[in-house]
Amino acid sequence: MTRRRALLAAAGFGLCLLVPLFQGDYHVHVMFHVALFAALGLAWNLVGGFAGQLSLGHAAFFGIGAYALPLYHDKLGIPLPLTLVLLIVTAVAAAAVIGRVAFRLRGPYFALATIAFAEVLRLSAKNLDNLTGGDVGLQVPALFGPTAPIQAFYISAVLLTAAAFTTTALIVRSRFGYQLQAVREDEDTARACGIDAARVKLHAFMISAAFTAVGGALYMSQIASVVPDSAFAIDLSERPAIDAMLGGAGTLSGPIVGAILIETAQELFKNWFHEAFQLIYGVLFVLVVLFLPEGIVGTIARWRRKQRAS
Amino acid sequence: MTALLTLEHVSKRFGGLRAVNDVSLSITEGEVLFIVGPNGAGKTTLFNLITGFLPPDEGVIRFAGRSLAGSPPHQAARLGIGRTFQIVKPLRNLTVLENVMLGAFLHTRDRAEAGARAREVLEFLQMGAVIAQPAAGLPLATLKRLEIARALATRPRLILLDEVVAGLPTTEALALAGLLQRLPEWGVSAVAGVEHVMQVVMKVAHRVVVLDRGALIAEGAPADVVRRPEVIEAYLGAKYKQVTG
Repeated sequence: MTRRRALLAAAGFGLCLLVPLFQGDYHVHVMFHVALFAALGLAWNLVGGFAGQLSLGHAAFFGIGAYALPLYHDKLGIPLPLTLVLLIVTAVAAAAVIGRVAFRLRGPYFALATIAFAEVLRLSAKNLDNLTGGDVGLQVPALFGPTAPIQAFYISAVLLTAAAFTTTALIVRSRFGYQLQAVREDEDTARACGIDAARVKLHAFMISAAFTAVGGALYMSQIASVVPDSAFAIDLSERPAIDAMLGGAGTLSGPIVGAILIETAQELFKNWFHEAFQLIYGVLFVLVVLFLPEGIVGTIARWRRKQRAS
Repeated sequence: MTALLTLEHVSKRFGGLRAVNDVSLSITEGEVLFIVGPNGAGKTTLFNLITGFLPPDEGVIRFAGRSLAGSPPHQAARLGIGRTFQIVKPLRNLTVLENVMLGAFLHTRDRAEAGARAREVLEFLQMGAVIAQPAAGLPLATLKRLEIARALATRPRLILLDEVVAGLPTTEALALAGLLQRLPEWGVSAVAGVEHVMQVVMKVAHRVVVLDRGALIAEGAPADVVRRPEVIEAYLGAKYKQVTG
């Protein structure tokens, strides 16, 4: 990334932080969702985009973040800042375990294994009543105090997105970033270059899990309660993936573009078409996969490369 | 001369098929050894065994005095064994330069340094013109060179070239053979090639071993080996043995 583009990105995130000054609670609430899913999309993109490993089980880490917050803070009495650290550590450790097993499989089988892990966690949360409160769930501590406005959550989500974006930008330009892409393009070639493919994938998975868990904690803290079906919902695995793919999997800004389009569209469709929005959403997704497989940012980038070449 | 790579009684079976059958051979430093043989003789399997892509069923493989038993492919690469793939495996969405940089990243974290190393290698292989192009859509001849470039960028002590000239027009094949002869300049101590193009083998090889149905059937100087009756039989069938032999 050039200096100019880095400044542009910084200015963009800065502007986002100013939005609450001009907008009402409803719009800020919608934008909180956009920012949160942009962060989740960026996190997913490290594994699904750059490393090319189609994880459809990121809800596992989202849910771990959501549950770790009340469990560590309320049940164990750990102060909030330390809880956040422990929450990240827990998610990263879970990713290490899940990844070690799931990465033994490739392609669609890997995707199925990740779904299975998220489901196992969802069912565990449902049944470990003593710990998780079962289907009744838990109260989630308010990260920014009991009367914190939506604006506080929005700003946190923007900062999380900025952090995920910066991390991605640094990775893309590093040896690690190249290695991830090599694994995506051809694992055998990557290994012949001395790359420990299993390790590289696992590290991406762990970094991704950290951001996803923070997103989960933030999201559920805003709602103030957590139940298994909301924290480990398969929808939470799919949406970041779809956002990233629409914007452009394996591109730096793709997940942000995708999240802005899909999350705002979803909000509008929900108001205009009620239940039918799910159908429209599904059709849109099929169209994108068929006609824009590289996503919006990916397609534009290729188009510009072609123009420059000719 | 010390042996850089030794294989002792190495075997590999796929079900009932003995793909590699009790093969022993060694490659000394500075040597250019070619492994030849008809299709299905087990040449690529042998390379996969040496580089850890397949574990041997029996036998010992040593590189620079160290046993390679059970070590994964990336470990072989780190120890100094570079390889190309017979069926080219470019990183399609990356540029030619980036493809070769991935080899160079084995010895440096620094992007500029990896880039400089990759450029050197690409210059040597006369690929300067395509440096910025994505690997997808390049012609086969260029992709074969890209395989060599990427392997060479890992600074291997031993480079395993799996049919890098097969399928190329003769002039292109001979030009590439000329470059292969210069590999020792890059610190590559030994080259083991698998080739069908005998013109190239005769030009480049110091020594040739012949593999047939997984077993080593002949070994010696190139000009010598091609006259052996068992080699002619393996390639052309028993009928021709008396005529030429």
